[in-house]
Amino acid sequence: MLLICGTIPKDDFPLAVGPVSFDGASLLLNGAAIPCTQGTAALASAACEVAEYLGAERPHALLVGDRGTGKGSRLLYEHLIKNLSSLSPGVVVLHYMLPIMGLMKKVCQSVEKCRRRPVMIADAAAMYAAKAAGLAPQFDIFTPDHSEMAFLADPEASHPAYVSRHLFESDGAMIPELALASYKQRGAAIMLVIKGATDYIVEYGKVIGQISEPDIPALEAIGGTGDTISGMLGAFIQAGFPFADAALLTARVNRLAGQYARATPATKIREIIAAIPAVLKDHVNKENLSSLSERSMLNDRN
Amino acid sequence: MRMKTNNKTSIDGEGLILFNNVEEALYGEKVLKAAGYEAKLVAPPPELRKGCDLAVEINLVEKTGIERLLKEKMADCLEIVPVKGKGSLLEVVRVTDFGEAVMVKAGNMKLTFDKKSGTIVNISGGGCPDIPSLHADLLDKKLSEAVRPKEKGYTLCSLMLDRAFVESLDLWKNHRKE
Repeated sequence: MLLICGTIPKDDFPLAVGPVSFDGASLLLNGAAIPCTQGTAALASAACEVAEYLGAERPHALLVGDRGTGKGSRLLYEHLIKNLSSLSPGVVVLHYMLPIMGLMKKVCQSVEKCRRRPVMIADAAAMYAAKAAGLAPQFDIFTPDHSEMAFLADPEASHPAYVSRHLFESDGAMIPELALASYKQRGAAIMLVIKGATDYIVEYGKVIGQISEPDIPALEAIGGTGDTISGMLGAFIQAGFPFADAALLTARVNRLAGQYARATPATKIREIIAAIPAVLKDHVNKENLSSLSERSMLNDRN
Repeated sequence: MRMKTNNKTSIDGEGLILFNNVEEALYGEKVLKAAGYEAKLVAPPPELRKGCDLAVEINLVEKTGIERLLKEKMADCLEIVPVKGKGSLLEVVRVTDFGEAVMVKAGNMKLTFDKKSGTIVNISGGGCPDIPSLHADLLDKKLSEAVRPKEKGYTLCSLMLDRAFVESLDLWKNHRKE
């Protein structure tokens, strides 16, 4: 099971867990319709599209309302700490939640108690908490953008708002160095999927893949285009794709979805997600997934 | 309104509120705890010490909401600083011109507005739970009419978004004059 954990921007949305689906405009969970906007709703919606195309089990989501006070986030952490072992997910994606280092440490302790250790992916503030608490090496994958990469490489910053100016101002060409520095300082997960003008796939501090085509500069402006990467990545890995293949495929599909949606800086994330099925149909041969015959589409350097 | 929590976790929040005197520190801690924030009286390390020798440890990421609460409750403080690293927030912003729209990036937050109308067309980046809420509130609003993110947000992400918002408003006003 792919378990997606995060908050949604509603004060009165109680903690809920269950299989989710995407109807083209909203994420559906236990009869509730959650608008597919930037954040965990976008992540889960993109995961749903991939799972549906692959004929895989529907993703599950653990969601709670939180508009920033942290009350819902604390409920989410506590639920995970108590129930992760019994939920027994294969892949966990931690996403929008107030970064609380002490609670993130307890979540990681719960992971170690699972009979079968799940693949752990973190994005957004869950990634901030993991890095700030010194827990990054316990995660399999982080999905930062370029500014978040600077944060991971800054040994003293506990949030991207306090990152050193010289790291923030470093351009995209510095990403491999930042990735290596973050790995050496134990600020990085085993794999990094770094979103930007060029997407970098980094494993154990070394770049193993780059994706820069199709070049859709507007994607950077569209809220949720990083969330879709984390969601699709989780779904591909849950379906059995090796991490590197899943990462390269995800980065490519995300760009193609922007191209198919004719993305402009004003495009909304639901329009990008709506384009994912057509991209998958055109570019991912699900009859032959095990051999990934479309490997040639994965990496610019292949 | 922040809800009170019963969480007893001792915090490891990387942030300190510095005060002029002990009375202010005691009042500040009381105000924060009454509002449900995790807060603990501590002695600040010598290199951070300003004012008195009592500080309140907080979760630094909650700086925006905490500053607003202290102001509302007239709880004076000197400043809120990170325990590690440099004490100042990232000030630099980056601007990308897409032609019809401009994107302003501050830290991990990006705000994009339409050049002609000054309407906010997208917000991206960030990771704290107030960002999807601010995204929903601000999208399709005119910069000149929208409420500043730091007035409604709670976290450092909202503070970065506020930086992008203020810069965007300045850029748009200057663009209109041209």
